[in-house]
Amino acid sequence: MRGVTVLKEEDDKTRTLNPHTLMAFSGEAGDTVQFAEYIQANVQLYGMRNNSKWQLSPSAVASFVRRELAKSLRSRKPYYVNLLIGGFDTNTNEPHLYWLDYLAASARTPYSAHGYAQYYCLSILDKHHNPNITLEEGQKLLRMCHEELVKRLPIDYKGLLVKVIRADGITELEL
Amino acid sequence: MPGFDFSNHTRNAALHARGMPLPKATSTGTTIVGCIYDGGVVIAADTRATSGPIVADKNCEKLHYIAPQIWCAGAGTAADTEFTTSLISSSLELHSLSTGRKPRVVTCMTLLKQHLFRHQGHIGAYLVVAGVDPTGVHLFTVHAHGSTDKLPYVTMGSGSLAAMAIFETMWKKNLTREEAIELCSQAIQAGIFNDLGSGSNVDVCVITEEKATLMRNYLTPNERMPKEQSYKFARGTTAYLKEVVIEKKDLKKYVTIVDLAASGAAADSMEIDA
Amino acid sequence: MSNPFSINGGAVVAMVGKDCVAIACDLRLGMQALTVSNDFPKIFNYGDVYLGLTGLATDVTTVSEMFRYKVNMYRLREERDIEPETMANLVSSSLYEKRFGPYFVSPVIAGINPHSQKPFVCGFDSIGCIDFAKDFIVSGTASDQLFGTCESLWEPDMEPEDLFETISQAMLNSVDRDALSGWGAHVYVITKDKVVKRLLKGRQD
Repeated sequence: MRGVTVLKEEDDKTRTLNPHTLMAFSGEAGDTVQFAEYIQANVQLYGMRNNSKWQLSPSAVASFVRRELAKSLRSRKPYYVNLLIGGFDTNTNEPHLYWLDYLAASARTPYSAHGYAQYYCLSILDKHHNPNITLEEGQKLLRMCHEELVKRLPIDYKGLLVKVIRADGITELEL
Repeated sequence: MPGFDFSNHTRNAALHARGMPLPKATSTGTTIVGCIYDGGVVIAADTRATSGPIVADKNCEKLHYIAPQIWCAGAGTAADTEFTTSLISSSLELHSLSTGRKPRVVTCMTLLKQHLFRHQGHIGAYLVVAGVDPTGVHLFTVHAHGSTDKLPYVTMGSGSLAAMAIFETMWKKNLTREEAIELCSQAIQAGIFNDLGSGSNVDVCVITEEKATLMRNYLTPNERMPKEQSYKFARGTTAYLKEVVIEKKDLKKYVTIVDLAASGAAADSMEIDA
Repeated sequence: MSNPFSINGGAVVAMVGKDCVAIACDLRLGMQALTVSNDFPKIFNYGDVYLGLTGLATDVTTVSEMFRYKVNMYRLREERDIEPETMANLVSSSLYEKRFGPYFVSPVIAGINPHSQKPFVCGFDSIGCIDFAKDFIVSGTASDQLFGTCESLWEPDMEPEDLFETISQAMLNSVDRDALSGWGAHVYVITKDKVVKRLLKGRQD
């Protein structure tokens, strides 16, 4: 988006940090991709310096990202980026999701959103999410969120890009 | 001199530009006074600390130690009075150690005013400095911007007008020790009862050629009435979903801490601070 | 954006009992009126010392991590755990170092001195002015309410069991009158050889 003009319909607002961690971002144009790719490069560098089978866990990634964002917040021109970090911890076989805002407040959550989607989707997720949710149920839930956004958002909503993180890596999914 | 760390300043300036108000610091909306008498000097303070309209501390200490026979009463931003006095106390101690002389009140006052002037009023410390040194009995006030006064009786803080009213009507020359204490505590009480920023108790410090005597809670004109009934809740009232009990011995399972004194005769008889 | 102390919301309270202390926090993390998480504890443990932090969430995390570093360095240097009184001075000077660019937090310390066995609580403003109290310390967006409940419910020399009820009720009833705090609470009751941590059942609105 540039002002009111749609520039691209299918922009991937995610970056793969390591084989089991994915980061989605929103915020000020420019800042977002710049920050995300800086993080991506550094997390990948960690993987290369160490054994490629010894990657940072999702909690470690989230902690690193938070620190970098907190540092940026104290600089002359802070990054204005809101983030969601999803990851699968291959040591504990546990999925993780972290919510971070541009002030570098971080929280581990079962489900979360940023921007206007928060107001529409969190209530749906509050009602229908359960801790043992399956992938199929998750997809169904995302479809409900999608429908709500199409119905309620006053803009021409261009749809969702869905990626799933599992033990065997990150894959894109048709909703 | 202290190194203030400005690393958060740019961030906070950016936040401030977005319309954020400054944080509320605990301030000693205060009454502090001082008065010279024949043979010594008395300073006194109330004990209320406020944060906006809330009483943050009902019995705080506003009389600060500088040197054995120099004490300071502080008004303004509480953290600033606390840290400024302890900083000057520290450099005065080093100074007296290197010169081998008792510290002088003028030295203390000069260090304070130079420190405060350097920071252009941003350090919000308003102080009454009093003490006895080889050159005699002294009483000063120091303002946050670095100006000082030398007077026989002084008041500062939000209750300074109420307190000064007492001094202006009751003060006379050649007071005795008891009269000076009475006059100062009267002045503080005027602040306690007529100024909303001041309250609770009266602290007094008397400094003579021999020694300084701190009389903490010299007067307690606002003691809380004991509760007539117990408002304890019956045990089991509060519902809880989870409980974890951590025993101290389990807590220390992965860390071994050996008390040096207990480690037998082999241990050096080293002094450990209690 | 308004006051940084009330963007994310939160409340912490600490109380002294007979040979015991208690410290409690709520679990909400919000952005203005929107609740983002209901599992954001604000109490952090450093050996014998418990530190509660309210204020701007990013600074709550940053400051808690900074003290984890400082306390670990202290441990390595001194080969002993930090005492509550020492921790109070560490917190105070660390905050005052940033006098002209403060962290937006209001810390609370609770603990029992491992040598004298004396219960200890104290609070701070965001620039490090210590408030030594012999009864209780409150902080956060519900501090006005907590002052009220604590002032009326607290009494001297409570046993650990009674202290738990008092601090829990003071906390729950305060956060129920604050829109920015609540959504469950953690309570620690600390005695000389035991710490009991409980997750309170609180309102979810």
